[in-house]
Parts: sequence; C-alpha cells; structure tokens
Amino acid sequence: MKTDSRTAWLFVLPALMSIALVALFPLGWTFWESLHRHDLRMPWLGRPFIGAANYAAIALDGRFWSAMGHTAFFTVVTVALELFLGLVLALAMNRTFRGRGALRAAILVPWAIPTVVAALVWRFLFDSQSGPITPLLIVAGVTAEALVWFTHPALAWVPVIVADIWKTTPFVALLLLAGLQNIPEELHQAAEVDGAGPFSRLIHITLPLLRPAILVALIFRTLDAFRVFDLIYVLTGGGPGTATEPIALYTFNTLFQNLRSGYASALSVVVFLVTFAMAVVYIRLLDRKEPA
Amino acid sequence: MRANPGITVRVQQTPDDATHRHQLYVQWLNARVGTPDVLQLDVIWTAELAAAGWILPLDRFAPAIDDFFPATMDASRWRGELYALPWFVDVGMLYWRTDILPAPPSRIDTIDQTFVWQGARYEGLVTVFLEFLGAFGGEILTADGTVTVNSPAGVRALSVMREQIRAGIAPREVLTWHEEECRFAFQNGRAVLMRNWPYAAAAMSGPDSAVAGKFSIAPMPAAPGGRPTAALGGAPLAINAWSRHPDQAFRLIAFLTAPEQMLERAAVVGQYPSRMSLYDDPRLGQALVADTATIRRIIEAASPRPVTPLYAELSEQLQVALHRALAGQSDPRRALDDAAARMQRLIDESGLRQRHEGGMRGP
Repeated sequence: MKTDSRTAWLFVLPALMSIALVALFPLGWTFWESLHRHDLRMPWLGRPFIGAANYAAIALDGRFWSAMGHTAFFTVVTVALELFLGLVLALAMNRTFRGRGALRAAILVPWAIPTVVAALVWRFLFDSQSGPITPLLIVAGVTAEALVWFTHPALAWVPVIVADIWKTTPFVALLLLAGLQNIPEELHQAAEVDGAGPFSRLIHITLPLLRPAILVALIFRTLDAFRVFDLIYVLTGGGPGTATEPIALYTFNTLFQNLRSGYASALSVVVFLVTFAMAVVYIRLLDRKEPA
Repeated sequence: MRANPGITVRVQQTPDDATHRHQLYVQWLNARVGTPDVLQLDVIWTAELAAAGWILPLDRFAPAIDDFFPATMDASRWRGELYALPWFVDVGMLYWRTDILPAPPSRIDTIDQTFVWQGARYEGLVTVFLEFLGAFGGEILTADGTVTVNSPAGVRALSVMREQIRAGIAPREVLTWHEEECRFAFQNGRAVLMRNWPYAAAAMSGPDSAVAGKFSIAPMPAAPGGRPTAALGGAPLAINAWSRHPDQAFRLIAFLTAPEQMLERAAVVGQYPSRMSLYDDPRLGQALVADTATIRRIIEAASPRPVTPLYAELSEQLQVALHRALAGQSDPRRALDDAAARMQRLIDESGLRQRHEGGMRGP
C-alpha cells in the first residue's frame, strides 16, 4: 500500500512541478512584488519592502472601489442577460427543423470573432458621427437628438453591454444545448402523459436537469466577465472619466501606463483572490449532489 | 551622412502613439539597451528620463544654445543641467475662420461660436486645460512642488470648459476627440474656432480642404486676471545613457538641430523651428506659408508643462479628473480637489521635494 502511494506521487510529480512553475511561481512572485514600493518611474527610490502598505492604500483608493463596482455591475448584468438569451436560443435550437446544423454553426460566428475586432466594429456602429445606430434610433422615435454614447457616464455602458451579449450569448447557448441533449426524451413523454403542459415541463424537468450545464456556463461567464478587459479597452477606454473602468483595466493602466509595479501587483493579487473565491463557491455548488 | 563622413545613421521606427513610444523607451532604458543612440523625446519626458539617469547631460559638448527659445530650453533642463536639444517646437494655438469672424475672440470665457478642442481622456486634454488655466492666471504646480491646480482659477477654467460643452459651443463629442477629429470638424466647416497644434495649418491648406485660405491663427485668448497661454510641445533630441557612441550621437543631434535642417523640416512637414533667428528669415515664411511674426509671438508666450520626472503620473491623475468633470461624473471643484490630493501625495512620496529644494518647476 505504502509503495503504491509513493509510486503514485512519483507519477504525478512532473505534473505538480509544472503547475508550480507556470502557476504558483508567477503568483508567488507577484505577491512578493506587491509587498514592495516599486515604481519604475522613480528608480532613485529603489525597491524598499513596505509590508502590506500597498494593500492599505488599495482599501482607501476610491478609483479601485469604483472599478470593483463597475466590474460587479458589468458581471451581473451581462451574465444574467446572456444566461436568459442563451437558454432561449438553446431551447429553440434543440427542436428538430430543417437547417438546424447550419443555424448552430452560424450562431457561433460572433463567438469566433476576436474580441478586439468585434469591439472595433461595435465602436463604429455606435459612433455618433458615422455609425448607423443613432440615425436608426432617431427614425424609430426613441430619441430626438443624436446620442453621443461614449461621452455619457451611463449611456457609455450600452455599447459595452450590447457588444458583450452579442459576442458571448452563443457560447452560453451551445453549453446549454449540450445539456439539453442529455435530457432523455422519455421523461418529457411520461410527463406529457401525466398531463404536464410545456411550461410545467420546463420548470420541473428541463431546468432541474439542466442545472449542471447552467452552473458550468455560469462559472465560465462570471469569471470571464469579472476579468473583462479587451472589450472595454477598445470600446470606451474606461471612460468617460472612469465611468466604465473595470478592475482589470485599472490594474493594466497602473502597471503599463504608470509603471507602478508594486501597487499594480497588489491590485492583481486582490483580483486573483476574488476570482479564486468565486471559483471555489461555484465548484462547491457543482459538487453538491442533485436535490432528490 | 554627407556633413559628417564616417558616421552612418540608421533610422529606427517607433510607435506613433506617444504613450506606446514612451512605454518602449522605458523598457529599453530600464534594460540598459544601448540603441538607439539618439532618442526623439516628447518635451514632457526629458525630466523623467534625466532623473532616472537614462539620458546623458549635454553640457560637456558645450552646445551653443542662445538661439533656441528659452521656454524650450527650460523644458530640456533637469536640476540645472542640459539633457536635450529641441528639434522642433509644437505650440497650442487658436484657429479661426476669417470669412466668418472679423477678428479672433479676445476672451476665452465669452466665446459663443462653435469651438472645438481636444477633450478625450489623454495628454491632449491636459494641454488644452493648461491653456484655459493660464488664461485665468492659474498654474498646475508651484516652483516648490505644491499642487495648485484646484485654486479658484483652476476651478473657473474647468467650469468654463464644462459650460462650453453644456451650452453646445463645444459639441459634446469633443469628449472623445483628439487632434485629428477636431481638424476634420473644422475643415468640414462644422466649427468656427479650433484649438490645435501647428500641423493642422499645413493639413488644411490642401485642395481638398473646404476652409483653405479661409482661416488664420492667433494666440489662445485670455480671461480677466490671466494671460494668453499656449502649451509648449515638441520633440527634443537626447542621447541614450547606455550608448557606446555618445560623441557621434551628439554630432547627429548638432546636425539635425542646425538651421538648414530646420528650414527643410518646416518646408517638408510644416514643423516650427526651435531657433528664434529663423523667424526673421524670409525662407521660413515661404516654407510655412504663414506669418512668422505671429508664430514667434505665440511661441514666446508658451509655457512648458510642469518639468518633473513625475509628469506622466501627475498628468494621468489630472486627465481622469478633468474628464470626469467634463462628462458630468463629478463637479469641477470636487474633481480638482481630488486630483490635487492624489498629485500632492505622489509628489510627497517621491522624495523629490526633500532631496532638492526647487527641484520642480511649474509653468
């Protein structure tokens, strides 16, 4: 028994070592850096050890908290809408009809387009001078004057959220579709025989059995949305002011624009801890046995 | 090089975007890379790179500097030593439509014609703000490193900018505009007034311009209590501190900053020479197709942005605050108070004030 377990450890050792090298080492290095005052713009200050001072500064940093707020807002709104629309699409695609294969392939197109390209396209569509969206809204009577989307703290969120939903709903729909296809048709037939209508079957059969697929979609989307960067970097740059700045963009600017290596590392560690905590919660939920 | 046989110059392309170029320079210099030997800087980087020890003092080459505009020399010095020579000068100025207005406006706070300026969240916004600020008699930093951007003059300057947007004098889109978007608007006749750099004059004089021959330049106007102010820009040339050929590098800088070279650049790309004597030279008037006396007057009134190694970080704080106030996310006083507190903390933490008295200079 003892030799068996030693052999097993030897077998997994290379895997563990590569994980340590590619995941734990950079993480540890970032954490160590976050305990220093290190500003590439001020080389004369050196790199003094300052303990948790960067973290204390983060706690008092208004821009950090508003960036966290923006990130949470973006995550909740986009994930909720994508889940709902993804479910509708998946239910539609799960029916048998002509051209189903072609539709399933076509729906993946937005997901396949690189985010930066998609963001550029959406920025053009929402452009106040040349984009078609503003004239469409005026014709439809939604607004009387031209909206300058990217200069209003609240309106600037519209292109961001629309673009993200357009881009990632197909991904959610495909994950849910895979889950739907695992639900045996006999259950529906049996329920129908017992007199259950379509809505009742959706609530009592489809959704409970779809729970694992929904959770997987939620994990991917929540963690992705929380780390949103490229879409907002291209669409609004976090502006106007800092009205749409997510935490990933604030961290990026701190490091690459202001070259504050120590402080940016502390921000990265905080982001890591938050996403890690979210992942742990989701994995717990996923592991829990199905309710009887 | 014909004037200096034996020296071969290799041109290295760098990103056009100043932020990206700066990022690249910091990476190279931090890693002690010896090439390029000569670096084209932005005026606001000189102090930063000098303080880091990444560019060489030029005093040992004893360059003749009397002919350069004093303001450009101020921006090229750090702690009394010379670190760069100005290749060309950029300066903020007012473009106005001569077919619509009889004269350029004399006050910045009573403008009622469509006026476009750079309002996106980037360095350009700070230069525009600096001109409004100077018009009201304010400054960003005092000579001893005290942040005064939230002074009553600062709040008034920012309030006037915000009011121009609110009243539609400056279209709300300016909050996303850089230099080129402003130029398009002015060139297509959407605006009567524009704040921009010298390059726009050459770009708008072509046959495809709707305003060719219908515009002129003037200093940015002032307000009561201040003076007409122009932000000083331009490209100084400096020597990489890790260069293995500093003497040859200096000869290249001397060649590029010679009068003949500056005349050629003026003719080819419309850049303003940094040598004062050239403004009396009729060849410059021909090259720029403009009144060189006006240009000289604007440059002489120009003030450098704060000369400090922390400039980029201070500017970033200011950009965020200005844009928040202009977009209506915050009111001008609160935005500037907040920015001033952050900027002051940066300066105090940097140790620059303690190390040398008077190590920082404002405009």
